[in-house]
Amino acid sequence: MISNLPSKSMPLQAIYTYELSGLWKSWLIRAWLIATMLVTFLIVTTNWATTPTAPLVAMLLFPYLVFPWFLVVLLLGLNPVTGSRLEALSDGILSRPVTRLEYLLASWAARVTAALAVLFVVIVPAVLIVSLADRPASADDPVTFYGVVASLAVVAIVITFLVSIGFFAGTAFRSSMFAVAALILIWMPVNLVLHTFSLEEFSPISLNQSLPTLLRTPWHMDETVAAVNLPGSEDMQAAADFFSALTGGSPATVKKDPEFYNQGDYEDFSLVRVVMGYGLPTLAALVCTTFLFYQRDL
Amino acid sequence: MELAIQTEHLTKIYGGRVIAVNDMTLSVPTGAVYGLLGPNGAGKTTTLRVLLGLQRPSAGFAKVFGNSCGPNATHVRGLIGYLPTHPVLPGHLCPIEYLELLGKLCRIPRQIRKPRLTSLLRAVGLLSATDRRIQTFSTGMRTRLGIAASLLADPPLLIWDEPTAGLDPAARRFALDLIRDLAKSRTVMVATHILSDIDQTCDHVGVMHEGRMIFSGSMHEMKQRLRRDDICLELDGDGEDRRQLAERASQEHGIEIVPHERNTVLVKVAEGRSRAGVIAEVLRLVDESNLTLHGIRSTQNETEFAYLQLLQQDSDHGFRRFDLQSPLQEHAAASDLHV
Repeated sequence: MISNLPSKSMPLQAIYTYELSGLWKSWLIRAWLIATMLVTFLIVTTNWATTPTAPLVAMLLFPYLVFPWFLVVLLLGLNPVTGSRLEALSDGILSRPVTRLEYLLASWAARVTAALAVLFVVIVPAVLIVSLADRPASADDPVTFYGVVASLAVVAIVITFLVSIGFFAGTAFRSSMFAVAALILIWMPVNLVLHTFSLEEFSPISLNQSLPTLLRTPWHMDETVAAVNLPGSEDMQAAADFFSALTGGSPATVKKDPEFYNQGDYEDFSLVRVVMGYGLPTLAALVCTTFLFYQRDL
Repeated sequence: MELAIQTEHLTKIYGGRVIAVNDMTLSVPTGAVYGLLGPNGAGKTTTLRVLLGLQRPSAGFAKVFGNSCGPNATHVRGLIGYLPTHPVLPGHLCPIEYLELLGKLCRIPRQIRKPRLTSLLRAVGLLSATDRRIQTFSTGMRTRLGIAASLLADPPLLIWDEPTAGLDPAARRFALDLIRDLAKSRTVMVATHILSDIDQTCDHVGVMHEGRMIFSGSMHEMKQRLRRDDICLELDGDGEDRRQLAERASQEHGIEIVPHERNTVLVKVAEGRSRAGVIAEVLRLVDESNLTLHGIRSTQNETEFAYLQLLQQDSDHGFRRFDLQSPLQEHAAASDLHV
C-alpha cells in the first residue's frame, strides 16, 4: 500500500507544482511580494527608535490581518475555478484521470503555500531583527520566543482561513468580479461587527490588537512574567514616577505605544480558541467548496 | 458485440432552461471509427463532456467500456484520450512541461512517461518547437499538441471534438491520416460538422439534431437508407446549350435535367427506369450537343445529401418526433422482468 503512495499522489503533486509555478509567475504574487517588502521596511525604519517590540511586531503583522494584504490573500484564493480558467482546467486537467477533490486540495494547498511563503519570506526576518536587535525602545518590552512563534502561527492560520474563504467564494460565484464584490461587501462589515464584540477568535481586527499580549506571553506563565500583564501595572508605574518626582529624580522614560494596540489587554486570550475559531471555518469552507464543485458542470 | 460507448435516454438540461441533449440513445462498438455528426448546437460536445464526467446527465446514463461515467469515474477518464475543440492550453508552459504534467496526472511512471512524450512530440512534428512556450503556438500546433496529449496514456478510446477545426489543408490531412492510422488499434469517436472528414475516416456514424440522435449506424447503412438515383454532370459550355440539353432530355421518358451548381446539371431518374439506360441516353444527348463533359458523378454516395435529408426529415416529422412511449415501455418491461 505504501509503495503505491507515490503513484497515487502523483496527480496531487503535479497539480500542486503546476499551480504553484503559475502563481509564482502571476503579477499578483510578484507585486505583492515587492509591496510587502517595501511596507515592512518602512514600518521597521520609522518605528525603530520609538515603538516597543511587541506593538512593532503587531504593526508588521497588521497588513496581513486587517488591511490591505488580507484583500490580496482573498484574491489569491479566488482564481481556481472561475472565469476563463475553468475552460482550461476542464480541458487540460479534469478530463484526465483526476478527481475534483484532488484538484481542489492541490490547488488550495498551492495557494496557501504561496500566501504563507510571501508572509514568511518577508516577515520572519523582519520580526527576528526587531526582536533580537538592541533597540532603544526594546529594553522595557521583551517579547518571548513562544510569543513570536505563536503570533506567526496565528497569522498563518488566519491567512489560511482567508485563502479558504476566497476559495469558497470563487467556487460559489461563477464570476471573479462578483466573488470579489461579495467578499468585500460581506466580509468587511462582518469583521467590524466581530471586532465590536472583541471576538479575537473570529475578528482579525481584535486578533491584531491582542497580538502584543500574545507576544509577551511565555510558554509557562511564571510570576515574573505574569507581572508584565498584571492589571493595574500602569497605575503602579505612575505612582512610582510620582514618588520619584517628589524625591527629585526624573520619571522613567515612557514609550508611547500606538493607541490601536492598547485598546484592550486581551488577558483572556486563548490560543486554542483562536485555532478553533479560524480552523473550523477553514475546514467548513473547504468542505462546502468541494461539495459545490462536485455539483458543478464544467 | 462489446460496446465502447453506450448511452441510454441521455438527457442534459442546463439550468432548467436549455435542452442540450434530448433522450439520446447511442451505441458505439469497440474498434469502430464513429463519426458524431450534427450542426452547431446539436449537443455533440455536451455528449462528449458527459462521457468524460465533466457534466452530469439530467437523466439517463452513459457508460464507457461498461463503466458508468461521472465526476469520480477516474478509471473511465483513464480509458479516454480527449481532444477538445481549440484546446485551451497553459500558455506559460513548454510542450515537454505540459505533457510531463499530463503524464503525471495519468499516473504514468517516469520510465515510461519520458520516452513516450518525446516520441509523441516527434510523431506530431513538434520536436523543433520544444523550447517555445505554448502561447506562441499557432492553431495547428496547438491541435497537434492536443493530439499528443490525448495519446499520452495510450488509451483504448479516443474522443476528438472537431479535430480539424481551424486547421490548414496540410494539418487537416495530417489529422485525418492519423485518425485512420490510430483506428487500426483502438476505438475512435470524432465529433464534427465537417462531412468530408466523416466520409474519409469513419465506418460508423451518428447524426444529432437539436440534441437528439436521429440516425446511428454504419456509413453504408446511412447511404443505403437515403439512396438516390440522381446523377450529376459537370459540363463546359454556355447556358443556352445546357437549356437545350434539358429540353431535349425532357422529351425522353423518365429523364429530367435541372441546373444544379455552377457548370453542373442534375439528372433525375424516374422510378422504374434503369440508371444505366438513363446514363447512356443522357451521354448520347451531351455528345450531340455543343457541351463538353468534364465529369460525371452519382449523388448516391454523397454523405452531404444523406445528412441534409436526415435533418430535413427530422424537421418535417414535427410533433411525430415526440416519443412518449419508448422510455415508458422500456421502464414497464424492466419492471416486468423484476416481477
